[in-house]
Amino acid sequence: MSGDDGMPREDGPDDGGFADALLEEELRQAAAVLDPVPAELLQAALDAFALHDLDARLAELTFDSLVDALPVRGVTDAPRMLTFRAGEVSVDVEVTEEGLIGQVLPPQSARIEVLGGPQTTRPLTADTLGRFTSDTPPTGPFALRLRTGGEVIVTEWLRA
Amino acid sequence: MVQSAVDGDAAAWKALVEGMSPLVWSVVRAHRLSDADGHEVFQTTWFRFAQHLGRIREPDKAGAWLASTARHECLKVLKGLARLTLTDDPRVLDRASEDRTPEESLIDSEEAADRAERVRRLWQELDGLGERCRQLLRVLMASPPPSYGEISAALGIAVGSIGPLRQRCLRRLRARMNARGAV
Repeated sequence: MSGDDGMPREDGPDDGGFADALLEEELRQAAAVLDPVPAELLQAALDAFALHDLDARLAELTFDSLVDALPVRGVTDAPRMLTFRAGEVSVDVEVTEEGLIGQVLPPQSARIEVLGGPQTTRPLTADTLGRFTSDTPPTGPFALRLRTGGEVIVTEWLRA
Repeated sequence: MVQSAVDGDAAAWKALVEGMSPLVWSVVRAHRLSDADGHEVFQTTWFRFAQHLGRIREPDKAGAWLASTARHECLKVLKGLARLTLTDDPRVLDRASEDRTPEESLIDSEEAADRAERVRRLWQELDGLGERCRQLLRVLMASPPPSYGEISAALGIAVGSIGPLRQRCLRRLRARMNARGAV
């Protein structure tokens, strides 16, 4: 950085540009040394390849109370309300501290699993109207896998 | 690469993960999430990317897709925190991880002590630059260098404003380093 007094100047683009590039590269090395991607996260991302499933239909998140609902004054622990949609099928889910409540619409029986990662699945019971409950609140990323009417639907991954 | 991964090529997936993880991580760190929240956002981003493989229309924009997804998840975390805890601020200050990497141990060796000191100062000075600069530089320093499209997706700022902002922030950082006599 010789000859650079560091004061803000009206440089031409190629005057301080080289010094900028050097400093940026120095920062890049600093990040690699002082704040690298944690090894266990890299492994989690590698393992996520198992979640790649072309046969399942993807139910996209179409409503998330965290983003789409107006906060209610004085209510700080309102349950998280989520709606996922895959074509004509939608899934409403309410996440509370006690667990999950939800329903498949239009009402239909379904086998449902809660996914917590590439290796973690927990079956749920749903009644003939597609209503389901779980007394275990999801921790961390989760998705629901539904088997209904001969097809498999998976909701978009979400952080609870 | 994305197409190969769609076709079931695990090596292509590995290359994607290794090439893009630093960018996703930089977005998490730029938003100053706690470690626990940050880890969950990182995982959610990759789980969702795996799920969307084959549905991503422009594979060459996978980096921007990942950056944008990570950003939105970060913003949700911050929104959830703001709603749940109105008084105390649960966010932790950005800091280097406690674990010492092999590279860090190497840099600690005596002959590299000066360089290590400069790297640490550089890192400390980032916090004094103001939020916009700190965020931009944290994403900018991902490896390999992210494109402006990816940075735009990561931070929600216009591509056209990145160049001038980058220049201003880098010069501000250099001025602070010089003021502290670290050359």
